[in-house]
Amino acid sequence: MIIADKKPIEEIIEAIKDYKKILILGCNECVTVCEAGGKKEVEILASALRMYFLNQSKDVKIDEKTLERQCDHEYLEEIRNTVENYDSILSLACGVGVQFTAEKYHSTPVFPGVNTCFLGATEERGVWVERCQACGKCILASTGGICPVSRCAKRILNGPCGGSSKGKCEINKDLACAWQLIIDRLKALGKLDEYEKITPIKDWSTDRAGGPRKVIREDVKQ
Amino acid sequence: MTLKSKLEAGNFAILAEIDPPKGVDVSMMINNAMKVKGDVDAFIVPEMSSAVMRMSALGGAMILQSKGMETVMQVCCRDRNQLALQADILAAYSCGIKNIMALTGDSPTIGDHSQAKGVYNITLLELIHTIKILQTGRDMAGIELTGKPEFLVGSTVNAGLKGNDLEVELEEMNKKVEEGTKFFITPPLFSIESIESFLNVVDHRKTKIIPTVLLLKSVGMARYMNRNMNHIHVPEDMIMRIQKAADKKAECVLIANQIIKNFKEEGFSGVNISTIGWEDKLPEIIKGI
Repeated sequence: MIIADKKPIEEIIEAIKDYKKILILGCNECVTVCEAGGKKEVEILASALRMYFLNQSKDVKIDEKTLERQCDHEYLEEIRNTVENYDSILSLACGVGVQFTAEKYHSTPVFPGVNTCFLGATEERGVWVERCQACGKCILASTGGICPVSRCAKRILNGPCGGSSKGKCEINKDLACAWQLIIDRLKALGKLDEYEKITPIKDWSTDRAGGPRKVIREDVKQ
Repeated sequence: MTLKSKLEAGNFAILAEIDPPKGVDVSMMINNAMKVKGDVDAFIVPEMSSAVMRMSALGGAMILQSKGMETVMQVCCRDRNQLALQADILAAYSCGIKNIMALTGDSPTIGDHSQAKGVYNITLLELIHTIKILQTGRDMAGIELTGKPEFLVGSTVNAGLKGNDLEVELEEMNKKVEEGTKFFITPPLFSIESIESFLNVVDHRKTKIIPTVLLLKSVGMARYMNRNMNHIHVPEDMIMRIQKAADKKAECVLIANQIIKNFKEEGFSGVNISTIGWEDKLPEIIKGI
């Protein structure tokens, strides 16, 4: 899922301080799971902002709404009839949701309420970790299901580098060396011969090198 | 007279683009440059233009400098992060390169290594700012340098834009000036009329605007550019001249020569001649300028 983190409230206030009718728009998907932009976070942020504006003696209307998703036209249509009641939207969705909302409602300023961080998983409650960089050409089949693109600090495909020591990465002694993990995993799978194969230079054109990406599926396209 | 002093004195400067080789044999690059040494004020050495891999601008510029020719080294945001850019800029200065031209750089997607990752860690304006910072004797991290470089800094301006696009371009141009840019190279121009909108707001006698004069090679090339390249316009009468000429190559050279004379008469600061492979035509192109 997409992992996001709450923006500091000071930054949010700076962005919306001149608006009078603000809709805080949550998203019921990834940002709910990582507790950054779901219904609960919308409520908390709305209360904090109401208190702030009250203290400032400013009359600002703040409403709350959480959509099933902000990255789908059909759910964004739910606010079609009410969007004109607001002079701005504070979206707690990931960057995709913020942009999709802005594209749909051209004349309403849309601000992000979270920082979109990475594609990751919940390691434990309150700890989310990166596992994928969406590079567009998955090589997990040959690396024992551990991704060096997202988990190696240098993204090297034929590791480890000389900075790997006692299974840890040179940039942080608490960070596991992805290539140590790959070797251990391949050993456990009895597939160490995979490690011996040299991975060719990666084709980054499927990553951001080729500009903004698009997946077109003719079989499901309407 | 250096390029810097020539531009400062308001004299017409002749620049010529000269690509380093795709390989290690630099004899053709040197030979072509030597033919016009003394007539050309400085050679602009592109940084892998169109994202086609070749010898670096730093390498090419150093080789030309070692033969006594002044250069303008291009530096772009595409291939290096902040560390590498600063390192190479410092190296360039210490190797005698005193003129630098900052660009964004074409995306690797359009070049001959389309699988490569573009770096673009910093933007063009940030790159120009970086050059300014280095000249104060500090690096981007604020750490003091041993000695400081001193460059004549140039960049690009798309003078062929109109309307809103032109407004945005002018805003960026002003920011570049604020960051220390002293001259601007335009994309290929074939007539002054094509940049009328630009000249209505920019005084080319005050701001150092250096149009690129591209040597046309054929009617096909001219028509291709008119069809496919935004903001580049080859006038139809120019195309007809080439079409009707008995010696088409000679006519192309003559046209380039006349365009240069025209820009000089109009008070531009200089020209940048781009011959893309026909560098041996440079002596004829600049004859009588």
